[in-house]
This record gives sequence, C-alpha cells and structure tokens, in this order.
Amino acid sequence: MALQALHGVDYHCKKANGLEDDENVYLGNMSNQCQLYMPPLSKAESQVGEFLVDECGRKIKLNFAHGTTTLGFKFNGGVVMAVDSRATSGQYIGSNNVKKVIEINPYLLGTMAGGAADCTYWERVLAKQCRLYELRNRERISVAAASKLLANMVYQYKGYGLSMGVMIAGWDKKGPGLYYVDNDGNRMPGNSFSVGSGSIYAYGVLDSGYRWDLSDTEAQELGRRAIYHATFRDAYSGGVVRVYHIKKDGWVKISEQDCKALHYKYAEETKTA
Amino acid sequence: MSILAYNGGSVVAMKGKNCVAIATDLRFGVQAQTITTDFERVFEVGPHLYIGLPGLVTDTQTVLQRLKFRIKMYEMREGRKVKPRTLMAMVQNLLYERRFGPYFVEPVIAGLDPVTKDPYICALDLIGCPCEPADFVVSGTSSESLYGMCETTWREDLEPDDLFECIGQSLINAFDRDALSGWGAVVHVIEEDKVTTRHIKSRMD
Amino acid sequence: MATERYSFSLTTFSPSGKLVQIEYALAAVAAGAPAVGIKAKDGVVLATEKKHKSILVEEHSIIKVEMITDHIGMVYSGMGPDYRLLVRQARKVAQQYYRTYLEPIPTPQLVQRLAAIMQEYTQSGGVRPFGVSLLICGWDLDRPYLFQCDPSGAYFPWKATAMGKNFINGKTFLEKRYNEDLELDDAVHTAILTLKESFEGQMSSDNIEIGICNSQGFRRLTPAEVQDYLANIA
Repeated sequence: MALQALHGVDYHCKKANGLEDDENVYLGNMSNQCQLYMPPLSKAESQVGEFLVDECGRKIKLNFAHGTTTLGFKFNGGVVMAVDSRATSGQYIGSNNVKKVIEINPYLLGTMAGGAADCTYWERVLAKQCRLYELRNRERISVAAASKLLANMVYQYKGYGLSMGVMIAGWDKKGPGLYYVDNDGNRMPGNSFSVGSGSIYAYGVLDSGYRWDLSDTEAQELGRRAIYHATFRDAYSGGVVRVYHIKKDGWVKISEQDCKALHYKYAEETKTA
Repeated sequence: MSILAYNGGSVVAMKGKNCVAIATDLRFGVQAQTITTDFERVFEVGPHLYIGLPGLVTDTQTVLQRLKFRIKMYEMREGRKVKPRTLMAMVQNLLYERRFGPYFVEPVIAGLDPVTKDPYICALDLIGCPCEPADFVVSGTSSESLYGMCETTWREDLEPDDLFECIGQSLINAFDRDALSGWGAVVHVIEEDKVTTRHIKSRMD
Repeated sequence: MATERYSFSLTTFSPSGKLVQIEYALAAVAAGAPAVGIKAKDGVVLATEKKHKSILVEEHSIIKVEMITDHIGMVYSGMGPDYRLLVRQARKVAQQYYRTYLEPIPTPQLVQRLAAIMQEYTQSGGVRPFGVSLLICGWDLDRPYLFQCDPSGAYFPWKATAMGKNFINGKTFLEKRYNEDLELDDAVHTAILTLKESFEGQMSSDNIEIGICNSQGFRRLTPAEVQDYLANIA
C-alpha cells in the first residue's frame, strides 16, 4: 500500500456515487495522497489550471497568488531560512501569525509560498514519505531526494492549478542542501533563494550582504534583515520574522520577532549610527 | 483590483462633544509596493476645517488643488470663510461635474461651523453623494474594518482626549487588518479654541 | 449734433470721456416713478408709487415690489419691461448660488452679480443699457441690507435713499427725517411720507406698494396693511 502510494499508482479519480462511495474515496485520499477528486467536468484536465468553467461556460478564477516573503541561503555555517508570517486574501490580512516554515523532520525544513493549503498538504505528504524512506533504508533521506519526491508529486498535477513556491533545505551526507521547487515542476539547487511577493526586496538586502564566510550570527541577522525590509516595502508580507538555522545536528529555531519591534529597533540603530 | 485601491490609504472622522476628529494613515504605495510612509491625505482647508481625500493619489492632488482654488475664489468674492456644509456642497459639485469620468477619491470632511461651532462630519462617494451621519464616517481601503472598529468603540459626547483615543485605536486596529493602509497615522482633534495634531507610531509592515 | 454721433446702439465714449447712453439711461430712471428704501434697526422697507394711466386698469394685477428669495426683495424706478428681465435674472442667480453652496445667497452677493449683469449691457454690442435703477433689500447674518444698483453697473449701500422722479427732494427729506434708531414700523411711515412729498393726487392702498424685510424674511404688504399705515398718517 505504501509502495503503491509512493509510486503514485492508481491516482486517477474514481467515479463517486452516493454516500458509501463518498466514504471510500475519502479513505482513498488518506491512504493514497495522490488520489484527489477531480471536478465533475468532461475535460477536467484542461479546465482546472488557471480557472474552472461553470455551467454557462464562464471562467471561475482560482486565485492563489498569496503574498509572502521567504528566503534561504547556504553559507559556511549551514543553511539559514527566514520567513514572514502574513496571510492575505486580496488586500485583507487574514493572519499575521502563520507558520511558513514547515518542520519536515529534525534535519529537513520546507518553506511556504503560494497556496497555503497546497504547501501544507504536499509538504505533509513529503514528511510521510521521508519517514517511510528512513524506515526502509535505515538512513536519512538526502535533501536532493526529498526535494525530488516533492517535485515529482507536484509534477503529476501540473496544469491542475496547484500554487506553490517552496524551498527544501536540510543537512545530509553531502553537508548543507538547499533546493527550490515550484508547481511548474521546477526543481533546482542553489546557494540562495527568495520566494514570494516580497522576494525582490529580500534579494536586495540578501545579495548585498551575502558572503560564504559569514559567521552564524551574521548570517542569521542577514536573513532577518532581508525579511524585515521586505515586510516594510511589500504590503502582502509582515507579521513576525522567523529565523531558522540548519547545522550539522539538524535545524534550530533562532528567533521569532515582531516586525513592529524590529522596525523601531532598526530605526533607533540608524539614528545613533 | 479597484483603481480606488491602487495607492491604498484610509481616512476616518468622528464627532465628539463640541469637537471633531479626523485621522489618516500615512502609506503611499503602488499596489503592493510601499513607496513612502509620510503621505498625509488629510488637508487643512480653512480654520477648523479639514478634508481627507483617500483614493487614487493623482486625483487626491488634483481634487485638492481645484478645491483650494474654488475655496479661495469664494473667500475673496464673499470676504468670509467657508462653512463645513458649504465646503461639502462645493466638493459635491466638483465631483458630480465629472459624473461620467470620475475622480477616484472618496472625500471625508470634518470641521466646526465658524458661527455656531457645531461639529460637522461628512463623507462623499466618488461622484459626490454625501452622507452626514451623527456619529462617524469612514473611507478608503480599510473602510470595512473601520466600520467594525467605529461601531464598537464610538460613544456619544466624547471629550477631545477620549475622542483621540477612540479614533486612534479605531484607525490603527482597522488598518492592521488591511495590507494597503497603515505605516503610521496622523490624528487631528479640532476644538473651538485649538486644533491638536498627533502622530501615532504603528506597525510598519 | 456732435453728441449724437456717439449715441447709437453701441455704448461708446464721447470725446469728453462720457458714456452718454448711460446718462440717457439715468435720465430714463429719473423720469420714472419714485421708489424709496429705508433701513431700520430690525428690518428694511421698500416703497414705490404705482400710478395708473387709466382708472380702468386692474390695479393689483400690476406688481412692482418683487421677492427674489425668501430673504431678499427688490423694486425699481424706470422702465417696467427692463425690470422684469432683471427680476428673472436675479431669481436665477439666487437659485444658482443656492445649488452651488446649499445656503441662501447673501444680499451683497446678489447685488454684486446683478450689477455685473447690468455692467455687461454697457459694454456689449447690439444691446442698450437697462433703463432702470434697482433698490434691493435683504436680511442675512442678523442684519438688514439696502442697496441701489444703477444702469452703469454701479451699486451703493444706503441707510436710506430715494430714486426716480423728484429723487433729490426725496433724499433731502430723508436726510432730515432719518435716524439710526428707527424701528421698522417708523421706517414704513417715513417711506410713505417721503413718497407723499412729491405725490400728486390722493395716496391710497391702490397707488402705492410697500415691501418689508426683517428676520422673518421678505414680504409685500397687502393693500389692507398699506391702508392701515395710511390711516395712521392721516
């Protein structure tokens, strides 16, 4: 069963009739995470991407372009990941306390950008698969393999309208690892990434302050600063700045600071400087 | 996205006991991008008379300039200052002249009548439909949240200091739920013998 | 004659710097029926003579004292038809003002705008100046107003004045009788007496017209009320 799920066998939708079937399909989704309902349309594959089509042929837009700022970078001392915590729907701020770093296991972190539901669901599936890998192979999964599992899963749904831009980071045999994965099926390793509506601002700070030989505290502060500046400029980013650091022994949560406190702290520093 | 929300920004005005207050946020942005955080969209247009012009900033500036022109012409012609309700009528005409190609601003007026000293508040939509309630008016991208805040915090006959607290808290807690407003606030409390202007620090994200 | 060369259609300066058309218009006014206006502490009165060419005329169908807004009234000396055009314009100006500012037009504003219209007729082609002078009374901002407006477009605020036939005598009479503490009732009396100075024949409620303006607004007195005042004088 697990192997079946792993290989994505039988993910095609089953025809549902009545309540009993409903229950079965629901169980199916739990046993095989790739067995999601398709909308009851004749050409579902071609219609769920950017939009759905209603009974009159009008387009129903599925808009998951949620604002966010996340970043991650490798350096001498491991990987630093920093994120904001704002969730918006349109211009409305739904929450300023979202956890956008998903703790997959003590050595692996994922970040969240795009559709919150898509990211949490698929990264939870990824966590399950990583755990199964550990049980089967008696060793931890590499960052490369973990990110590829995720990339393969979302690739199966390419064109169906998933919205994700995530970073998978961790520490394995090869040392620190950092991958970017998105809903188009892109998957690439790199030294530094920033994802989300505030990423352009974060890149500005990150690129100008980045060196390979940063000290741990310098690197953590760089990540924090980059996210803070993005929350200032980008309307759709804000809340608290969370900073994680992945070292040889796994990840450590470094800080969670309110943007308001950070702003007035930084303002004070520039005044005295 | 509505063109009214292109630059973001919100204004609220409240009546108190022998006083009125008008408050605004300070963000000037272009969609998601915050450009400056010192843009006041409430302007003094007479003694004890203020107008807030949230909406598209280019129209905020045009409407303000055309309105100032008309106010000055009125004051020179008649040798007296405009009353709040007269200003409302002027704004109403200014906006309705552009009924079929409107200015994208939704003005808020707050002031004291120069003769009777009666508190006056008013909000207009973008083509000049006025609304003159007895309690408070809201406008801008946070207007829904502002309604919620004002409905719960506003009380009759607030003294100037309490009115400041009420309007300040209402505005800040409202725009903290709005991505396009915020980044600081300014409150003017207008009394018969003085106007008190205070800047409020708020979240900057 | 030399002056006639400058006296057709367009109002043109004569070599001596006069606008003779305007002087002719003033002459038309000076030949018109007298009108008197007096400002009192608590109001203003307008009064005019209304003589009829024939006893067959239906007297009270002809009205000279007109209301412009609730708080402004007007009367004239000179040519009746010209006056009616100005009344229409004045009412229009007042309503335009109200539409623009949602408040009643202040009397000085109405006078200013009417004067501007009258001036326009001294400087436009194909028109002649108005053959009337206006007396405009009003009450706003808790005080009375009385203005005279001439064909040239010049206007003057008065405490009391007279226009039309025998206006010089009328003014002299007012100069003697006027004092600052006048009440409206006394002012009405004085106005009637001023008209009486030059009145030929028997004065009655059929051949004079009176309008008053106070904090209650403007209104024309009914013939019965005029009769009461006349009875008090006699």
